[in-house]
Amino acid sequence: MNGPAARLTQDVSVWMPLSRRRLWADGVKSVPVAVGAVIALVRVLTGLDWPAGAVVAACAGATVLVVAAVVGYTAAKLRTTRWRLTPERLELRSGITVRQHRSIPRERVRSVDLRADPVLRVFRLAVAKVGTGEHAGDGTELVLDGLTRHEAETLRRTLLLQDAEPAGRDGTLAELRWSWIRYAPLSVWTFTGTALALAGLYKVLSPLGLKGFAGRMVTDLWDWVTTQPLVAVPLLVVVNIVVGTLGAGLLFAESWGRYRLEREPGRLRLRRGLLTTRSLTLEERRLRGVEVSEPLLLRLAGGARVKTIATGLGKAAEHETEDVAALTPPLPRALAGRLAADIAGTHSPAPGDSTPGDSAPGDSNPAGSMLGESVLLTHPAAARRRRFVRAVVTAAVLAAGAGTATWLLPWPWRAWVWLAPALALVAGLRLAVSSARSLGHALGERHLISRSGALVRRTIALDRRGISGWTVTESYFQRRSGLLTVSATTAAGKGHYDVVDVGHGEGLELAAHAVPGLLEPFLVRQKQRAA
Amino acid sequence: MRATTTLRPPRHQADPRAVAWWTVQWLILMVPVAAAAVAAYWTLTERPVWLGAVVVVFAVGCLAVALVAPRASYRVERWEVTDQAVYTRKGILTHTWQVAPMSRIQRVDTARGPVQRLFGLAAVTVTTASSAGAVKIEALDHEVAAELAERLIAITHATPGDAT
Repeated sequence: MNGPAARLTQDVSVWMPLSRRRLWADGVKSVPVAVGAVIALVRVLTGLDWPAGAVVAACAGATVLVVAAVVGYTAAKLRTTRWRLTPERLELRSGITVRQHRSIPRERVRSVDLRADPVLRVFRLAVAKVGTGEHAGDGTELVLDGLTRHEAETLRRTLLLQDAEPAGRDGTLAELRWSWIRYAPLSVWTFTGTALALAGLYKVLSPLGLKGFAGRMVTDLWDWVTTQPLVAVPLLVVVNIVVGTLGAGLLFAESWGRYRLEREPGRLRLRRGLLTTRSLTLEERRLRGVEVSEPLLLRLAGGARVKTIATGLGKAAEHETEDVAALTPPLPRALAGRLAADIAGTHSPAPGDSTPGDSAPGDSNPAGSMLGESVLLTHPAAARRRRFVRAVVTAAVLAAGAGTATWLLPWPWRAWVWLAPALALVAGLRLAVSSARSLGHALGERHLISRSGALVRRTIALDRRGISGWTVTESYFQRRSGLLTVSATTAAGKGHYDVVDVGHGEGLELAAHAVPGLLEPFLVRQKQRAA
Repeated sequence: MRATTTLRPPRHQADPRAVAWWTVQWLILMVPVAAAAVAAYWTLTERPVWLGAVVVVFAVGCLAVALVAPRASYRVERWEVTDQAVYTRKGILTHTWQVAPMSRIQRVDTARGPVQRLFGLAAVTVTTASSAGAVKIEALDHEVAAELAERLIAITHATPGDAT
């Protein structure tokens, strides 16, 4: 070993500077700012009738000033920032005016996330974010902005793999296949994204003095649509979808290019990003389960994605296009199910499982493809009925509203009001079918599994040891149909995961068996002759 | 033969003074609503008789709810603390049972609002690591509440586990 690697692993702890290449990187990054300044200057100065030579000189001056300021600031930062790794702690000293000294005990380091935008990658640099993983975003992180890529990788390995014990389950769990890009456009953003992008563009153009131009474009477009709607509307819709699909594809490529999910001893490592590369670590100790989520469009195309249920994950970081909990891009459902089972470890066989006696016969192998299909227990017919009744009642209320409207309002188009209840009935029934079909639950050896949802179907596998309480609710209508909702509260993810509209006794038994001893003392079992 | 499983009600009821406290709270909310309806009828309309009847029914309904709801709540609201868990039931139309195990309790709070203090009552809130798992026992005698909180803290200290 040589260089930084040697220094990192030795016990001699030297205060080390950040890489000087950071100067160059910041110099390059300041160029767009300088260009913006130059454009503004040119506009102002030509407006003031300055001679061309003077304008050029002013622009050159401004450029030099901006770049020098940025580089100077970085240089000052580099001079004052030092870090070191001692056998016990990782320490960072920084601050130009206010000196800061932060340190993290090495045994509390839970994650080392690396990130490199395109400029940093050209200079072979990376930003390392070292977290103790206790609570997201309350300053327990230490950021080393400007390590060489080699240093960053070595730091990551040294900090995380020190307690490495060889385990048989290591290795790559998933790798990107570019064919998955076909799932990328299957989101509402594809259809709304173009409009949003145009609105954004309009906002950007306005201050640059192009407002008149943009405004004229908008009025011209509106005239065209109103005069020739039969040509314009389909054309606009097509353009919208094409642009949206293209955008979604590009976004997918940038977010998920080079995607690779690996298992390291005790952790999951997620690497992704075509231009800006990211490397994220998730300690398996913080993992409380997985979620397979299938939004409507994705589901119709047979796709799904896998998310984690973990403690201490914050909200999505700034400049991030993906949810922090996302483990995979959209991918084929079977693969998602397999991957989720791999990650949660629901594959492990369950001899003598403690599932209650009233479970389905096919339950002898509760793990298997649990997160995929089939082995889930269905909910009572009353649950399905509830969904249909809800759809019909909604449509009936709308119909009553439409009736009142046609009776009271003197509009010429009032007959069209009836479209609302008709559409609501069709859509409502369709959703009721898919919602009823989604419902299901099971108890695995280590996990509580529940599936529900009409628009977004979610299958969750929650670690039974991660359940920190139960909330059982029974609404008036549920009581009448003998149903209830059992909700497992947990420290991870969204805080509670529900088994919706499960049969009364079945739901309570499920909860009682999922966490032995917790609900048991509060249950009463009455023997009753079956009708 | 087939076993039907149900949740038994928790052992203890809320303090009887809770009925008076909840009634006062409901009245604070409902009296202004009823008064506003009557006032609006008196000042803003031509005072037709049919509207008057509607307003009277509405106002009387408001007051009736304020008097009935607390009694209904008192009948359903129950709590129990064992060595293993905190167990509560509440809700008139939607029944809600909550169980939080001692090993997961992170925080125990007692709180007394201004009206609550008049009646010598207090609430105990038990918070677990989950953002959705707080269990609240409302309307306890304030001395019982203080004792309960101390007992809960003692038990949770004695119970091992990192509470996540």
